[in-house]
Amino acid sequence: MGRTSKDKRDVYYRLAKENGWRARSAFKLLQLDEEFQLFQGVKRVVDLCAAPGSWSQVLSQKVGGQTNGQVVAVDLQAMAPLPGVIQIQGDITQLSTAKEIIQHFEGCPADLVVCDGAPDVTGLHDVDEYMQAQLLLAALNIATHVLKLGGCFVAKIFRGRDVTLLYSQLRVFFSSVLCAKPKSSRNSSIEAFAVCQGYDPPEGFIPDLTRPLLDHSYDSDFNQLDGPTRVIVPFVTCGDLSAYDSDRSYPLNLEDGSEYKYTPPTQPPISPPYQEACRLKKNGQLAKELLPQECSINRVDKLPQPLIVPQCHTLLAPKVGDTGRNSSPLTH
Amino acid sequence: MEALGDFVWPRATSELILLPVTGLECVGDRLLAGEGPDLLVYNLDFGGHLRMVKRVQNLLGHFLIHGFRVRPEPKGDLDSEAMVAVFGSKGLRIVKISWGQSHLRELWRSGLWNMSDWIWDVRWLEGNVALALGHNSVVLYDPVIGCMLQDVPCTDRCTLSSACLIGDTWKELTIVAGAVSNQLLVWYPATALTDNKPVAPDRRVSGHVGVIFSMSYLESKGLLATASEDRSVRIWKVGDLRVPGGRVQNIGHCFGHSARVWQVKLLENYLISAGEDCVCLVWSHEGEILQAFRGHQGRGIRAIAAHERQAWVITGGDDSGIRLWHLVGRGYQGLGVSALCFKSPSRPGALKAVTLAGSWRVLAVTDAGALYLYDMEVKCWEQLLEDNRFQSYSLLEAAPGPEGFGLCALANGEGLVKVVPINTPTAAVDQNLFSGKVHSLSWALRGYEELLLLASGPGGVVACLEISAAPTGKAIFVKERCRYLLPPSKQRWHTCSAFLPPGDFLVCGDRRGSVLLFPARPSLFKSPGVGSKAITEAEAPAAGGGSGASENVATGLGPVSALHSLHGKQGVTSVTCHGGYVYSTGRDGSYYQLFVHGGQLQPVLRQKSCRGMNWIAGLRMVPDGSMVILGFHANEFIVWSPRSHEKLHIVNCGGGHRSWAFSDTEAAMAFAYLKDGDVMLYRALGGCTRPNVILREGLHGREITCVKRVGTVTLGPEFEVPSLELPDYLEPGSEGPGLIDIVLTCSEDTTVCVLALPTTTGSAHALTAVCNHISSVRALAVWGIGSPGGPQDPRPGLTAQVVSAGGRAEMHCFSLMVTPDASAPSRLACHVMHLSSHRLDEYWGRQRNRHRMVKVDPETRYMSLAICEFDSDKPGYGPLVAAACSDGAVRLFLLQDSGRILHLLAETFHHKRCVLKVHSFTHEAPNQRRRLILCSAATDGTLAFWDLTTAMDRGSTTLGSPAHPGLPYQLGSPCLTVQAHSCGVNSLHTLPTPEGHHLVASGSEDGSLHVFILAVKMPEAQEADGEAEQLVPQLCVLEEYSVPCAHAAHVTGLKILSPSLMVSASIDQRLTFWRLGRGEPTFMNSTVYHVPDVADMDCWPVSPEFGHRCALGGQGLEVYNWYD
Repeated sequence: MGRTSKDKRDVYYRLAKENGWRARSAFKLLQLDEEFQLFQGVKRVVDLCAAPGSWSQVLSQKVGGQTNGQVVAVDLQAMAPLPGVIQIQGDITQLSTAKEIIQHFEGCPADLVVCDGAPDVTGLHDVDEYMQAQLLLAALNIATHVLKLGGCFVAKIFRGRDVTLLYSQLRVFFSSVLCAKPKSSRNSSIEAFAVCQGYDPPEGFIPDLTRPLLDHSYDSDFNQLDGPTRVIVPFVTCGDLSAYDSDRSYPLNLEDGSEYKYTPPTQPPISPPYQEACRLKKNGQLAKELLPQECSINRVDKLPQPLIVPQCHTLLAPKVGDTGRNSSPLTH
Repeated sequence: MEALGDFVWPRATSELILLPVTGLECVGDRLLAGEGPDLLVYNLDFGGHLRMVKRVQNLLGHFLIHGFRVRPEPKGDLDSEAMVAVFGSKGLRIVKISWGQSHLRELWRSGLWNMSDWIWDVRWLEGNVALALGHNSVVLYDPVIGCMLQDVPCTDRCTLSSACLIGDTWKELTIVAGAVSNQLLVWYPATALTDNKPVAPDRRVSGHVGVIFSMSYLESKGLLATASEDRSVRIWKVGDLRVPGGRVQNIGHCFGHSARVWQVKLLENYLISAGEDCVCLVWSHEGEILQAFRGHQGRGIRAIAAHERQAWVITGGDDSGIRLWHLVGRGYQGLGVSALCFKSPSRPGALKAVTLAGSWRVLAVTDAGALYLYDMEVKCWEQLLEDNRFQSYSLLEAAPGPEGFGLCALANGEGLVKVVPINTPTAAVDQNLFSGKVHSLSWALRGYEELLLLASGPGGVVACLEISAAPTGKAIFVKERCRYLLPPSKQRWHTCSAFLPPGDFLVCGDRRGSVLLFPARPSLFKSPGVGSKAITEAEAPAAGGGSGASENVATGLGPVSALHSLHGKQGVTSVTCHGGYVYSTGRDGSYYQLFVHGGQLQPVLRQKSCRGMNWIAGLRMVPDGSMVILGFHANEFIVWSPRSHEKLHIVNCGGGHRSWAFSDTEAAMAFAYLKDGDVMLYRALGGCTRPNVILREGLHGREITCVKRVGTVTLGPEFEVPSLELPDYLEPGSEGPGLIDIVLTCSEDTTVCVLALPTTTGSAHALTAVCNHISSVRALAVWGIGSPGGPQDPRPGLTAQVVSAGGRAEMHCFSLMVTPDASAPSRLACHVMHLSSHRLDEYWGRQRNRHRMVKVDPETRYMSLAICEFDSDKPGYGPLVAAACSDGAVRLFLLQDSGRILHLLAETFHHKRCVLKVHSFTHEAPNQRRRLILCSAATDGTLAFWDLTTAMDRGSTTLGSPAHPGLPYQLGSPCLTVQAHSCGVNSLHTLPTPEGHHLVASGSEDGSLHVFILAVKMPEAQEADGEAEQLVPQLCVLEEYSVPCAHAAHVTGLKILSPSLMVSASIDQRLTFWRLGRGEPTFMNSTVYHVPDVADMDCWPVSPEFGHRCALGGQGLEVYNWYD
């Protein structure tokens, strides 16, 4: 296998490294933009759950490069700095974070809020889908504080069992909600992006970060669990046909004729939760269970003891008492 | 069926669910297990046995059970009935169960209450329950009538990842919440001044650097334990948490898991934790690991429960298995290593070899040529004999049998073999066999009737000695029966031997890795052909024989059958005959199942042992009918059970290169080895078995990628045994012939599983697992379904040929035979035989310097398979297997000799993208040839149709010749392409219509369905005969419909059941019926199912009484049925 195997398995992973993106997800935002012209006329943009920062990289290029373009990146975790991006290390469920964002925009609301955050999946599908939905709703909640009317909101969704409930929640706040999947997102992945355009909160809605937005529940007539009236929003595939296929396995030498050269990852993760455990494991310091032979001292009595133990052993070898054996007959 | 009935017909109902076990709880002597929305109840005290008593179905609707809370009974009477709060995700239901006298009944169930948010914990507060909800709020709820009494949020409305409620009344209720900030928040809901008024947290506790997945509070000791994403478990001294403002002190930080820790539970004297690494650890409260339970497969242990009185721990895994383990505290009972104190001035010399005669007598030989006996009953060493001819080089082997037959054999470097009766060593018999070194000794025992000793001498000659005893037992007779000759090799000696029942043949393994078959009594053996005639060294090929230089003419009988280098260069280590099969083990880390057919050895299946164990030393059958594998892993000796995936014994012996011996009886298992000049003995009472119980076998450790039904076995009434598993579940009238569906599943865990799904019991039995793949298995295809005795045979049974394919461009072909077996719980036995395999990059594995090169070729995965069967009029021409490949190719493989030869025939890179699906069908029309059509679909949403009949015609121009000989043909361009979807096609199916056309349906990643009618038109034959063969059919689309938002996610399963009915399944967990044939497909009804990430679906009609069945495979397996 070796270090090239991941490059072979995933062409976008490799392209991201070669193009200096911190993660392959940069291509997803670029392809979403190709389809929806997300950055047209956008001056102020917020990147929620920004770490490791690949979307911020795209935003700083596309928006930060323009005159008056401002990019604010928010994440709970620390992120390596990026030129042209204002970073806030904070919780998106806190009002203070929303205020700080507005402060950076000098009181003006944002034109675009994006969120590519996903929880660390546990493998239990219902938990993961719920957690992802809560993250999206938290992002939506803070977006209601910072987004201008008519603004745009793009967030990652997991298309699982209850994704239609999220659609119906998003449609309360936006005039147009679409589900989009860039070509750089794999067929085998359930991830997609909700592209919500035309921010238009219901009349009398007061943004309130102290109350979490809860996801909707199934209704017996409007949005049924298993009936014909489920809310399924239109689906759009982004990225042109000539784009690389994220599911295809490519040879290392791509068609453009350039020869393959290994590129190390752009930005390794900063202090993951398992860092300490990995360090201990590497040094062989993880706690281990007792093996039977290690507790033989206590167990020897369970076994028939040799009757004739030459006396010299017990006299001269100090360890006989606990190991029941003698390694040096020369002491005799 | 009229329009009115459409929305109810057909209605699918769930029959069987195999999902991760996410909730476990012990109540008295019962175990409650949550699987999907169902509750399984196990009886834990049924005469020492454990069994499932009842499945209470569909308690939580479309939610999955995450926990149970049993209402505490003031009288402590949980033996007759219990009120159980069952919760999971946002659902809660109370169910009252009575379980007097082994009969279990559901007395009452409340409504299914839907909460506004995720439920992390539930606690009974007298008649009501308190719920800890997802955004840090606590709700007091009346579960009987289903109304909220109080709702108190915390001021910090963060998302939680776990919570723990403490206290028995609302007043003293305490919540410990695990927040996304990795902190613990402790707060008191009853301190809210008014309802809905937020309460500030009393304490915030930091420590973990990842989110907290589970908590457990032990009131009696004032301890709290937390399990986290950071792979550690922390123990906190908290005192009485119900008292505000108390001090929280971290007294233990336990690192022992190698992945995230999902569950933690505090018991009076222990702490139990389990996690993603599939290990359940038992810790002391001081943070020391006392025991580790390993055996679950896949992505971890999701639930744990404990029965403190019986000292049991029960774990439920992602593999849907449930296991029971014994808590024994520190160390293991009846286990241990002891040194046998050999060294003594009275016993000069150093030990050279050790062996075990039975499990209580150890024999050892020194470099002084002295043989010693250690009897564990008498507990002392005794010298049996001393013979200076056995100085410096001596082999020692004790005869097999429960007490070692009372015999052992010694051999030296000068061709001398000595057979010693252990009780009367003076009666030892010497036999001078060779003029050179004896390389190896082994025994073969047939019942108690025939005992042979095989000794390998120079030049690959094996002398076979017959050992018999005088009736007095005082004398033994050793007679040379014959000599065998091994195939030439550098290290030309045998390593092991066994009788092949009934006893006409001996199976031997040699140092070169070959398994050989010799006639046991050559004098009686009638030569069937070559190989058996006596050959001489001079005649034998001169390649080997390096060690045979001293002997010019050695004669011996060659093997009648040989599997050369089966186990590679490191050699065969053991051969065992059991149940009609031969099992061989080798130092290549694998064991083979072989069988002898027509006097020839045939490999059946190669199996791998546990990870890292590359030196398999032996294999034993244990009394419960399962097998254990013995082997060495680094410096440890391991007894491993393939059935439970458990390492039953681990002995740190220093490795397999020293002299060692193993013996097992029902009472005890013994392992002796030499270390530091002494004999070390490991003994375990109870033999190779461990008392740990598998309450339910797991299925696949990871996601199921493909489900394929093979056929049905109909068992007559003689096999009709009342189902043991579900006595209450049988409905009257469900007797009669037992229909059992045989279904294959394959998974990312690299295995293919054969499942039996009886129609009567709603249970599933895993018959066999095939583990030949080195990477994930993604696709299966089945052909040649028949019955074992041919079409005329009325006996029940099923045979089929299977191709499996997956990652690393690997493909395997095997045959399957299912026959009745009254002794098995499933009433079936399944025999699997591996036929052939293929890897695209096989050449790469053969490159010697590959470690220094970069492999430029893509890492191709096979995504889907289709079998294309030609007319039966072409003998020897097996079916084609079409494979959808991730490198953008559609490849055609040819299977010949009923699956024994598999080779790449043709390929096409037409799609230029990852090909996701292939499907084949035949077109039949009157007065026309039967035509095979292949349809392929890729990630760009296009379907391509290929006419294989034309392509395969001899002399056809469609199949472009390969660029180089040896490379595959080029499959030209397709007959038709259809842009059906905007993105990847995840499901594809076709059905011929009565009009002679074909209905083609596809489902895509975008949730859309596409249905069209495909017509196959033959151009009129312009010229006379002869040319008709060359006519190429024209494919065209007649009617085309598409349903854009049919599902909210990928449509991964699709089946056209009839020209008017279609069923689709999607990752959005809906099984939907569609009406076809009246223009656009119309929605009929849909059912929410429980398996997430469904990757494949198969549907089949069972019988008119039973209707249709449908199996959905994803992160679990679910079977639905409906009536037509």
